[in-house]
Amino acid sequence: MRRGKWLVFGLVMVLVLGLLISGVFAQEKKKLTFAWIPKALNNPVFELGRDGAFAKAKELTETTDYTVEVLYVGSVASDAAEQVRVIEDVIAKGVDGIGVSCNDPDALVDVINKAVDAGIPVMTWDSDAPKSKRFTYLGVSNYDGGKAAAELLVRYMGDKGKVALLTGVPGAFNLEERIRGFKDGIKDYPGIEIVTTVACYDDINQGVQVVEETMQAYPDLTGWFFVGLWPLFAERGSMPLWEEAAKSGRVKTVAFDTLPVELEYLKEGLLVGLVGQKYWGWGYDTIQMLFDYVVNKKEFPSWTDSGMDIVTIHNVDAMIEAWKTSDFTKPLPPAFPEE
Amino acid sequence: MESKREEEFLRYTEPGLLRRFARNQLAALILILVGMVVVLSLLTRTFLTANNIFNVLRAFSWIAIASFGQSVVIIGGGIDLSAGSNMAFSGIVTAMLLVAGYNVVFSVLMGLLVTLGIGFCNGLMVSKAKLPPFIATLGTMSIIRGFCYGMTQGWPVRSLPRSFMSLGQTDVGIFIWQVPLPAIFMVVFAVLCYILLDKTKLGYHTYAVGGNEYAAALAGINTGRVKNVAFTLSGLLAGMGGLLMTARLGVAAPTAAQGYELDIIAAAVIGGISLTGGEGSVWGALIGAAIMQILRNALVLLGFPAYWQPAAIGAVIIGAVMIDMYRKRKV
Repeated sequence: MRRGKWLVFGLVMVLVLGLLISGVFAQEKKKLTFAWIPKALNNPVFELGRDGAFAKAKELTETTDYTVEVLYVGSVASDAAEQVRVIEDVIAKGVDGIGVSCNDPDALVDVINKAVDAGIPVMTWDSDAPKSKRFTYLGVSNYDGGKAAAELLVRYMGDKGKVALLTGVPGAFNLEERIRGFKDGIKDYPGIEIVTTVACYDDINQGVQVVEETMQAYPDLTGWFFVGLWPLFAERGSMPLWEEAAKSGRVKTVAFDTLPVELEYLKEGLLVGLVGQKYWGWGYDTIQMLFDYVVNKKEFPSWTDSGMDIVTIHNVDAMIEAWKTSDFTKPLPPAFPEE
Repeated sequence: MESKREEEFLRYTEPGLLRRFARNQLAALILILVGMVVVLSLLTRTFLTANNIFNVLRAFSWIAIASFGQSVVIIGGGIDLSAGSNMAFSGIVTAMLLVAGYNVVFSVLMGLLVTLGIGFCNGLMVSKAKLPPFIATLGTMSIIRGFCYGMTQGWPVRSLPRSFMSLGQTDVGIFIWQVPLPAIFMVVFAVLCYILLDKTKLGYHTYAVGGNEYAAALAGINTGRVKNVAFTLSGLLAGMGGLLMTARLGVAAPTAAQGYELDIIAAAVIGGISLTGGEGSVWGALIGAAIMQILRNALVLLGFPAYWQPAAIGAVIIGAVMIDMYRKRKV
């Protein structure tokens, strides 16, 4: 009987203590809210970044003393003025940090500085505003990406041939940088001629159309550089001339981005190589960096290179797996294992 | 001698072939079209190949089909800015139903029904709520685009069944040619719209309402009904065009057909359909769409720098309309 009483007393004590301790800890666990703002909500690649941001927030909440929350907001379409308004709202709401992909390098300077002056640290990712007070920029050099695409194409096509380029909206800064890098990369091979550059205005239908027209206009074409993936969103059978030429190996195609649709094309041998940004990292790494900056007071250089994924037939399976499991944390196997 | 005098006599009494030709709007448009074809077949080896011609035909078929509906609206004195959004929406509705496992006929009918309903709502807003067509359809353009993004969460809908894609990818053998199915649809719809506008009372009323709405109402024409029919038809045909485009590409993207409303309106205007209403025909819209696509095709085949292409297309729109105005003043 006595022992029973003690047991009950002991149990109650443990329970009360446990509740107290957890209560204290719960109070101690501080909340951090980071706003993660893409260029537009209507572009699927940003959703992958968003998933990365949420994954990192969950990870940080589980492993640190902080509850990290991600606020995913943005303008529906790519629009600098609308994005400024969104950031102003976020400042008014009050957050602990902002990660933003800028629709315009200059138009956002003012509002970013406003946030920093209000005590909210800002970093940019994917697309920078270098003249602002943001503490760092996480991104890739599109110029280097274009150069890497040129190398990939030469590797498969050889150092002779005729190449065509497909771009989206002429004048878009990131696309122009890729084209500049690609052209500089091709310059070292005098046997390669860039015969034409066609534009599809970010439209799948027009992309399909101009690729087919170019295939007719230049029957001796040997290479393509798709500066984005527009026509590849279309299903098989929509570009019969290109498909036939790609299948027979007459035309080698290198494209930017590494979305699942492109991976399928690559696996079938219609594409020879892909150069892609780490979309997942746009969110995953940005939240980590904001956390490090706010909590650990870590210093960052003005520009942080996020690196590029180069995908060929040798590592396409690993990339497909990453998309399937939504886990991009494992490093990709080398694109050319024989080296 | 005798016959020569007779000829001279005829020349003064009957309008000359050239004059008669110039007086006919369609003939003038066809002349421009033929001129472009001749110049292009001289300048490039690839333009006048069957492959390229049918490629071009297919490429403008959905714009043309949507612009037939647009033409009826414009002739009736309105404008439909929601055409591009409708094109995307019918594709998305159909694609999502197909992916959910419904059969092709049902999915296609639903896609068309939805855009028909949107067109009808446009009509009601204009005829009953008395909203200006520009404002009403500007609103629906944005609402429908929002639905496109919202329903797909920004991702294109893919993995559509082959049987659906054959709607846009099949070629039908006619004589020695392999004519793309969308181009045949285009001709069928052109004939149907022509019959509606030229051979029915409703068509006659449409011209009357577009020409002078007040007078038409005084004459006892139910102007509201005319507008309802026009907008409903525009919604339906935009949906049809969008479906064919989706079938051809095998993907329904929420961003598809963005800005196409301007191409659709431009096709009608190049085709001699006056934006002030009451004038023009669907054949004009057909040729207008053809001229625009041939121009785009030509710029690629000729290797014209991509950066300058919008300028060339704008110049052609202005040029074609100016020729039409000049012709009208002469007559």
